[in-house]
Amino acid sequence: MSKGTIFSIEEFAINDGPGIRTTVFLKGCPLRCAWCHNPEGLSPKPQIFHAMDGDEICGREVEAKDLAADLLKNREFFEMNGGGVTFTGGEPTMQADFLCEVMDLLPGVHKAIETSGYCKPEVFKKILDRLDLVLFDIKHTDPEQHRRWTGVDNAPILANLQTLKLSGKPFVIRVPLIPGVNDSLENMEATRDLVKDAPGLQRLELLRYHKTAGAKYPKVDMEYSPAFDTDAEPAVHDIFGNIKLLIL
Amino acid sequence: MLTKRIEQLKDFFFDRHHHSVRRTPEELGLDRLCDRFAADKVPAQMRGAILFEEMTKAEKPVIFDGELIVATRTITRVPSYFTEAEWEEIKSKHYLHENGFLSNISANYKDALAEGLEARKQRFEARKASADAEGKLFLESAVRSIAALQGLIAKYEACAREMGDSALAEVLASIRTEGAKGFREALQLLRFIHFGLWESGCYHNTLGRFDQYMYPYYKKDVESGRISKDEAWELLLSFFLACNKDSDLYPGMQQGDNGQSLVLGGRDEKGNTLFNELSAMCLEASYDLNLIDPKINLRVDRNTPLEIYKLGARLTKRGLGFPQYDNDDVVVPGLIRKGYSPEDANDYVVAACWEFIIPGKAMDIVNIGALSFAGLVSKSVDRLGQYKDFESYYASVDADIKEECKAIAAQYKNLYIAPAPLYSVFMDGTLERARDITLGAKYNNFGIHGTGIATAADSLAAIEKYVFDEKSVSVKDLQAALDANFEGWDELWHKLRFEAPKMGNDDDYADKLAQRLLASFDEGLAPLRNERGGCFRAGTGTAMYYIFHATCLKATPDGRKAGEVIPANYSPSMYTKHKGPVSVLKSFSKGDLARTINGGPLTIELDDTIFRNEENLEKLAMLIRSYVQLGGHQLQLNTLNKETLFDAKAHPEKHRNLIVRVWGWSGYFVELDECYQDHIINRIKFAV
Ligand code: SF4
Repeated sequence: MSKGTIFSIEEFAINDGPGIRTTVFLKGCPLRCAWCHNPEGLSPKPQIFHAMDGDEICGREVEAKDLAADLLKNREFFEMNGGGVTFTGGEPTMQADFLCEVMDLLPGVHKAIETSGYCKPEVFKKILDRLDLVLFDIKHTDPEQHRRWTGVDNAPILANLQTLKLSGKPFVIRVPLIPGVNDSLENMEATRDLVKDAPGLQRLELLRYHKTAGAKYPKVDMEYSPAFDTDAEPAVHDIFGNIKLLIL
Repeated sequence: MLTKRIEQLKDFFFDRHHHSVRRTPEELGLDRLCDRFAADKVPAQMRGAILFEEMTKAEKPVIFDGELIVATRTITRVPSYFTEAEWEEIKSKHYLHENGFLSNISANYKDALAEGLEARKQRFEARKASADAEGKLFLESAVRSIAALQGLIAKYEACAREMGDSALAEVLASIRTEGAKGFREALQLLRFIHFGLWESGCYHNTLGRFDQYMYPYYKKDVESGRISKDEAWELLLSFFLACNKDSDLYPGMQQGDNGQSLVLGGRDEKGNTLFNELSAMCLEASYDLNLIDPKINLRVDRNTPLEIYKLGARLTKRGLGFPQYDNDDVVVPGLIRKGYSPEDANDYVVAACWEFIIPGKAMDIVNIGALSFAGLVSKSVDRLGQYKDFESYYASVDADIKEECKAIAAQYKNLYIAPAPLYSVFMDGTLERARDITLGAKYNNFGIHGTGIATAADSLAAIEKYVFDEKSVSVKDLQAALDANFEGWDELWHKLRFEAPKMGNDDDYADKLAQRLLASFDEGLAPLRNERGGCFRAGTGTAMYYIFHATCLKATPDGRKAGEVIPANYSPSMYTKHKGPVSVLKSFSKGDLARTINGGPLTIELDDTIFRNEENLEKLAMLIRSYVQLGGHQLQLNTLNKETLFDAKAHPEKHRNLIVRVWGWSGYFVELDECYQDHIINRIKFAV
């Protein structure tokens, strides 16, 4: 039985997949996206969070079976409303064993993950097998730019995307639209071309950057100073053709 | 969409141009009618009629440009027909509910619209022959009241003719005597009847099952081509808009608390769904108009399609605080259990806030009193040392609740309600009995609110867990901490406030205690009868009592400090961050809520970001449906934006429009007293 570290469980999470869902936030992420709005999800360890009413510990260790039992309490609710559970983070694949164990304890529950796709191919496959839906981020198609803005190479991500496409599993592509970073026509076209023919693609979501992304940094004693223009409006290109598009 | 005409009228009323036609009763010499009545020893029954006659005579017919549905109050206030000395005398002998005038029941509009005023007047006239002296007096007051209403309509008719609006004049000519011939006539007659109820001094005048009694007129007119759907739409908007013209003149606890609620949907005795085309139009009209009246209730049940919830959710998005959802699967059996016939129970409507009443047939006083769960539990802590286990302790709380039920019920002796001849005309059985409606009807039940249920259940849960189960907190320490208002007891305070089991987290530890409290309440009221032979109904509403009861409540074992508010209605405490709306809905739908049939909604605050796209609206609809399917009785959703509220408090002049739900009604935020504003701002901190 393994333990994992989570930093939040959110009921009625309305932007993380179909129906009424509960989203679990797993702590820790190997990336450092300049626009990340969940700085408390980056470190894999529990940490101090300066909340409105005083300091709190953000992040707690849970046993897989306890988390699963907690989630199963709302199983009826999920079933009544075509919903389920979504795992996000941080980067949920970072705690792959724990994640798989929790998922194995949720038979019959619709399971989704929101991931940067950055993990080893065998880890990704193992997790993918257990999922009903994948919300997959594409932050940049260019390796150099990807490294510059997220701190990591995108080769493993693109490889896992390939695995996902071939699996036939339903997936949603999410692109954070960051002004001057990835909103060029060229990058958007490249993003589209990566997924446009995949049978599992349900839709593509563009998540427009919002300045409030930096709101939580002081609460975890971090500084928010991205090297892009946080006041600029990201460009939205009308190039997606038949792909179902959602702009958030 | 609003039509051009309606937009212009809405602006016109919003800018209060129609206020210029208003006069005070003093200016009109109506304010001291009571002196004349007293000097002439006019019987109270007749005073109601004469006052209404004088009011309607003094009314000036005003028809504003473009109005389709007319009648505007030009007199600011309805004076009392008793002198102050007479009131004192009445008060010394009687129990008065609120201000002593009739309120918060629902008329039988359906029959009134069908029969028309003249036929009804004649039936009341004819009944005189076989009535006793008291009956004759009542019938005469009723006949004179109808005639006065007809006189008012006649004045409007003359005004319409003078203005050259012959279509309107024809409508008015017809409804002055006859039953409604079509949709426009029905709306206009309803407007006059409703207007008359207000002008005769009654208040919290509800509108009942509007979509049901109006639908036949709508259907007939549209199918026969007498009017087009567009025309019907504009007429509906006109009626809704009209409900907002005079509402600032209607008395209530706060501006907006005026009881103009109407009910949509629901089912009949056979279980057929009654939601119709007009019901959907009403939801849309309310959305498009974006005004606080009429306040909408949507009757639903486990079979209600998601599409209907979606229409409701869309209106919720407006942030008006309605629709409120009422679950027929719980309410109907609950009413039957309290002695309402199945047919009547299926016809229920909603009173000013949330209480379930039967149109035409009930003289229930649904908000006569309140039991403070939190207060009783708070008091019981003083004797906590006497009990060896939780069960014996709870038995004493149960006994207290039942004692309190008896004590509350015993207060209402010699009830007096000022006679209401006009309202009586539109209630069932008054003609047969030849008695005013205020003297009683088929149903004469009293409703008792139950306040602070979450505070009480959370307190009991903390006591059970820490004092009796774990024995980690001693009785002495708990008492000392509460007496000190937790001053110097930080650790214990933190444990009680943040770590103890709470209602709203789908934790049986606290939830089952709430169910026990409600059961004790229901059992306590069950054997009691009021002097009219009616029963007492337990409820989960708080009305303004959530403020009253909290101010005299010391620190409680749930970690609430003295002076901090208790939650409004059937809602979780506001100090703990709950797991989320799903757990809240589950906690608050447990147990048999048919036992608390006086009503009182679970209230959930939603941040307005939820409404950013259509998909989320559907999810919200699912959430509401789930509460109904789980067996919740009543649900009310608020849409709030914290920044807006803060700004509105700081700059009220910029937010004249901002509408919020307060307890059972919606009002303009900037017109609320500060304590209510703060309460609402507080609630949003814990929004989804
Ligand atoms: S992948 Fe997500 S959690 Fe990780 S740094 Fe990027 S935005 Fe933040």
